[in-house]
Amino acid sequence: MKPRLAVIKLASCDGCQVTLLDLEDELLAIGEALDVAHFTEASSRFDPDGPFDLTLIEGSVSQPRQIPIVRHARAMSKRLVAIGACANTGGLQALRNWANHEEYLSLVYARPEYIETLAESKPVSELVPVDFELNGCPPDRHQLLEVITAFLVGRRPNIRSESVCLECKRAGHVCVHVAYGIPCLGPVTQAGCGALCPGKRRGCYSCFGPRENANTGSLADDLERKGLPPAEVARRFRLIYGWAPPFRAESARREKP
Amino acid sequence: MTAQALARDDLGALFDALRAEGYRVVGPTLRDDAIVLADLRGPEDLPAGWTVRQGPGTYRVERRDDEALFGFAVGQHSWKGFLFPSRERLVEMRREDGALEHRPAARDAAPLAFLGVRGCDLAAIEVQDRTFMRGRHVDPGYDARRRAAFVVAVDCLEAGDLCFCASMGTGPGVERGFDLRLTELGPRFLVAVGSARGASVAARLPLRAAPAGDERRRRDGLDDARAHMGRTMQADDLPGLLFGNLDHPRWDDVAARCLACANCTLVCPTCFCFSVETVSDLSGTEARRDRAWDSCFTVQHGQIHGATFRPRIKDRYRQWLTHKLGAWVSQFGVSGCTGCGRCIAWCPVGIDLTEEVAAIRATSRPAVAMPPPPAPAPAVREPMVPATARVTAVRRETDDVVTLRIAHEIAFRPGQFHMLGLPAIGEVPISIAGGDGRSVDHTIRAVGAVSGALAALEPGHALGIRGPFGSAWPLEACVGRPVVVVAGGVGLAPLRAALDTMAARPLDYPSVRLLYGARTPADLLFTDDLQRWAADPRFAVRVTVDHAGADWRGDVGVVTRLITDVPPDAVALVCGPEMMMGFSVRALCAAGLPAERAYVSMERNMACAVAHCGRCQLGPYFVCRDGPVFRFDRIARLFDQEGF
Amino acid sequence: MTDGERTFRVDLMTRVEGEGRFELRVRDGVVERAVLSIYEAPRFFEAFVRGRSIFEVPDIVARICGICPVAYQMSAVRALEEALGLSPTPTLRALRRLFYCGEWISSHALHVFLLHAPDFLGFPGALEMAAAGHRDLVERGLRIKKVGNAILERIGGRAVHPISARVGGFTRLPTPAELGALRDDVARALDEAEIATRWAAGLDFPAFEQDYVFVSLVGDAYPLEWADEFAVSGRGTLPIADFERVCVEAQVPWSNALQARLDDGRTYLTGPLARFAHNAARLHPRAAALAPPAPVRNPHASIVVRCVEIVHALAEALDLIEAYAPEGPAYLEAAPRESTGLGATEAPRGLLYHRYAIGPDGLVREAAIVPPTSQNQARIEQDLIGMAPQLLTMEHERATRLCEQLIRAYDPCISCATHFLTLDIERVTP
Ligand SMILES: Cc1cc2nc3c(=O)[nH]c(=O)nc-3n(C[C@H](O)[C@H](O)[C@H](O)COP(=O)(O)OP(=O)(O)OC[C@H]3O[C@@H](n4cnc5c(N)ncnc54)[C@H](O)[C@@H]3O)c2cc1C
Ligand code: SF4
Ligand code: SF4
Ligand code: SF4
Ligand code: SF4
Repeated sequence: MKPRLAVIKLASCDGCQVTLLDLEDELLAIGEALDVAHFTEASSRFDPDGPFDLTLIEGSVSQPRQIPIVRHARAMSKRLVAIGACANTGGLQALRNWANHEEYLSLVYARPEYIETLAESKPVSELVPVDFELNGCPPDRHQLLEVITAFLVGRRPNIRSESVCLECKRAGHVCVHVAYGIPCLGPVTQAGCGALCPGKRRGCYSCFGPRENANTGSLADDLERKGLPPAEVARRFRLIYGWAPPFRAESARREKP
Repeated sequence: MTAQALARDDLGALFDALRAEGYRVVGPTLRDDAIVLADLRGPEDLPAGWTVRQGPGTYRVERRDDEALFGFAVGQHSWKGFLFPSRERLVEMRREDGALEHRPAARDAAPLAFLGVRGCDLAAIEVQDRTFMRGRHVDPGYDARRRAAFVVAVDCLEAGDLCFCASMGTGPGVERGFDLRLTELGPRFLVAVGSARGASVAARLPLRAAPAGDERRRRDGLDDARAHMGRTMQADDLPGLLFGNLDHPRWDDVAARCLACANCTLVCPTCFCFSVETVSDLSGTEARRDRAWDSCFTVQHGQIHGATFRPRIKDRYRQWLTHKLGAWVSQFGVSGCTGCGRCIAWCPVGIDLTEEVAAIRATSRPAVAMPPPPAPAPAVREPMVPATARVTAVRRETDDVVTLRIAHEIAFRPGQFHMLGLPAIGEVPISIAGGDGRSVDHTIRAVGAVSGALAALEPGHALGIRGPFGSAWPLEACVGRPVVVVAGGVGLAPLRAALDTMAARPLDYPSVRLLYGARTPADLLFTDDLQRWAADPRFAVRVTVDHAGADWRGDVGVVTRLITDVPPDAVALVCGPEMMMGFSVRALCAAGLPAERAYVSMERNMACAVAHCGRCQLGPYFVCRDGPVFRFDRIARLFDQEGF
Repeated sequence: MTDGERTFRVDLMTRVEGEGRFELRVRDGVVERAVLSIYEAPRFFEAFVRGRSIFEVPDIVARICGICPVAYQMSAVRALEEALGLSPTPTLRALRRLFYCGEWISSHALHVFLLHAPDFLGFPGALEMAAAGHRDLVERGLRIKKVGNAILERIGGRAVHPISARVGGFTRLPTPAELGALRDDVARALDEAEIATRWAAGLDFPAFEQDYVFVSLVGDAYPLEWADEFAVSGRGTLPIADFERVCVEAQVPWSNALQARLDDGRTYLTGPLARFAHNAARLHPRAAALAPPAPVRNPHASIVVRCVEIVHALAEALDLIEAYAPEGPAYLEAAPRESTGLGATEAPRGLLYHRYAIGPDGLVREAAIVPPTSQNQARIEQDLIGMAPQLLTMEHERATRLCEQLIRAYDPCISCATHFLTLDIERVTP
């Protein structure tokens, strides 16, 4: 019997699922290798109950109704892979975690009582253990394919926790930080995107989140030396992966006057 | 021969001549506001009239007052990008209906002409030659590209802001190793021929006799450059100095600044570390192994199952600097630094190795002695392409350990290891646990993906095998002496073939004491062998376990407790977890054994096993080449050092 | 059969982007409740951009939707450039149009071939469809989609949340050679899209026509990345500045999305059918040659109009690539200053309106975003009411499926629809 795949969505933009559908060359082969048992964005034949061999979970936990979904997904899945920034650190919508929740709601909706949300946008791993975290907003589709392939053939996914700078140098891009003075978060950001931003002459804005051993303090000092006010340095660390602990701590440090 | 010159206006003829001889010309060109190395159509692509201003962590191109074609110092790119590309496919594999095929991947080795190679960079190429071509194993891709490459060197008559080639003895002039050399002297180039290939290209050029005085102008220019180096660094004593100061407070200081981003290593023209990645289709039918530039600043570089050797940024920066400026000399007979200054410019936070070295030197403790480089050995080609072999028998040793018997005709020495691989899953080092010339035994503990898949193989299954690699147990040095063997857990596997050899040669090995520790009685390996050895009157076998039930009649406790009254002339062979080996050797020495008669088998991350990928380094050594079996005193200093 | 109460309800709609449910309750032939409820978790984007640099806005608003991030980026840069008084050069306009074509191609192909086609061929999804003899169709769709993504990647680095769009232009311009490398693939996809359009035109559509008020941008060209006016059926053409006055958003208790209606209370439709109704004459000749007579009033037939728009976008992309000769800078510079700007573009799903107020510190002070799906939501509910009589004569399961199919025909993007800030609410904030 083919391994059963589930794709589950929480609070998100759907970009991770779209990334899966963007595997145009491999999509049909994936459909043949796996029994796509639950993927409501792609099929009306679905089975929320499981069990599943591999579950990809997109989005952050931000509504009470999502809590049982996550627990159920964990219970019914041999391997649970959290994909994307939202699922792994709360995502961009974790920006609201800094705000007063009630106030925020009343600010956005005229009748906040209709809206059911949690006070924070949380990563999946705060609720249940996940077997693998695939980062990126969105994750790189080649990495997504690698995670699926590795699962199917039984190897450890070849996803590295190194800095973007390695990919940047392998690609031969001119370093924007050094050669143009464009502030770049590549040195503290996990590789995976293929160093897209430096390749387009802009600084990395860390849509893949902190790398292992991110020395955010030294980079933040350097950004200030390059003339960025501390408040702006704080903002740069508080974006898509702002809720990830190393970035959260760094933005808090820089925010203080 | 009188000096010859090529008019600047005739430089196009050089491109024509190189193309006529079959080369694609690559060299410096201005792109995206930086001088990069790329394909050149002709002299019009050279950065005429441009120079660069550099400092720690900054690089800017600027107009010059003149139209010089080579008036700039080296940039971010180096020639290593052509000889050792950042990604390269190594091996292709196909598995179908039980058949397994390994073949070398097609290699791109089209002849390139490198136009504008500076002294530091030519030296750097020669440094990498030592890694990839001059060791025991030859990297066929690098070798082919390097042999095909045509070098047009260019002298530096102006030093860059961050250059210190004069300190490193690699520049500013280029004196050898080139096919052609150009010296830019305003409206003309002084041309020197350095090889037969160079002569044949030169013969196609409209050369004229150089005006008298050009040679002198060259020498004056070089002197001037030498006198205006942007940086200096005293380097000759650095290997011993750095290794004598592994606890210097400066390492903590630089670690606070260093991002561990790896830029310094990737721009460095001599750094050679790479990772090997397994790629496959969804079914695992087609697979391949690719390599990609890696760096000692990544955690994976120094990580194995269950251990991370360089967890802190401090450990990684220290690895880079001590390797670059120190260990390299022991490994390859030359410094790993050529003084090009790239790592200073392209460090995002401007860390300057010359400053770091100076700071360490200022308050240093004495230098230590370093081992000499290994003797040259006959070269083996295609070291990365496995042979296909089949499992003939499987014996389950414990819950998670099996011994595979693999049909494979090979001679090995006990202590050596093989790289065992499965096409879509990966390849790992596994010691040889026995063999008879027609087959080899491997005892594997299933701890992760690859070892788990290997341990699940059944008779008839095919796998990839490379080797044997590495050093062996010093069985000849043991002849006639009492031998103490200390093994922990699966650490008995690499010793099994040695024990069998000793069992088979009673006259050479009059007394063998085996002290073996495992977690529980159920974790003991080779129980038949243990009984067989115990039955041999020359052998004394003692087994201890950490935990045992009531029916266990052997010892309980750590294996070091069994180390007592060691004969003073004994040789000790120790294998097990690193902690256990450390305690064991210390106990042996406390019992009177000199450290130079204790041998241990080390484990480090290995991607190639042929001293190319750089991952298994242990200070001045490669574990795959100089180990895995080491005489303890040679590595004692690093053994106790956190972060190596 | 028309007596008593009948409820058609799907709690987890499939093959739509995001999470929603609908319920249609009819008692004795009278519709009691027709609700499209969006329970997708709210995210608070208009609040997120406040206090951020205008240069961060394109990266932030892209995350509203993973299917049409370029639409969000393009509406945002249009509005912010208006605030700063920047007019992009012809090169930048052409590149943006090409960029946007990429998203139309990709997003429409996703909907046509993977989400909508299974309804007509009777499969739960495209994978099942491919496995049961329609592999060619699905592969063709994927090939077309891939070309759309290739355009996005070439210009923007990646298809989802591309990285090169910035206020004033792009961070870097592709070279003509980089774009030229796409030419042949685009030309091939164009041929394939024409074949697909003919295939779509031959499908059997459930009979259902409504007298829609169509709202779309209008201009000299088929509306995409740039227009100054919008058209409302029966009310002619209005300047974009009137958008928030004419199209009013309000909150409803059953949905996490705000719903828009016209100022006179009527519902309206935005998206391919509306664009086509107002702009059929401006289609590229290769698209016009395949287009049905305008307007199309059956939402089920929107698949044909989407195909026509794919042909249009590919044909334009081909022209733009062939004509590409970059001149001028990659981006125009302007110092942020206190100002307000608004702008709209045509996202694949319809008109997407942004308005920003920039404070004296150069940071965003206030933002308003009106996405297409919240505009269509009320119209979808009205369609459900309109369908009720024909549903009552049908077997239950088929009727329920037909409701879902109708909603799907709108290609609702629920991720987009949730969580936006209205002007009213904005006024109460400190
Ligand atoms: C010289 C030598 C001899 C060895 N002999 C034996 C033996 O006889 N029997 C035995 O059971 N084990 C032996 N090992 C250890 C064995 O290689 C590891 O258990 C194995 O690599 C784990 O890989 P994995 O994919 O199963 O584990 P995982 O935990 O899935 O992966 C570990 C990761 O580290 C990488 N890696 C690279 N080198 C090593 C390394 N040396 N150790 C661990 N991981 C590494 C792997 O490629 C992989 O990416 C030996 C190691 C060395 C260096
Ligand atoms: S551009 Fe950014 S990612 Fe690339 S090397 Fe420089 S700092 Fe690293
Ligand atoms: S260590 Fe730095 S200066 Fe030395 S060769 Fe490498 S990049 Fe050049
Ligand atoms: S270990 Fe040595 S060769 Fe490898 S990256 Fe580090 S410094 Fe360079
Ligand atoms: S020394 Fe500089 S370039 Fe090297 S890893 Fe550290 S921060 Fe990066």
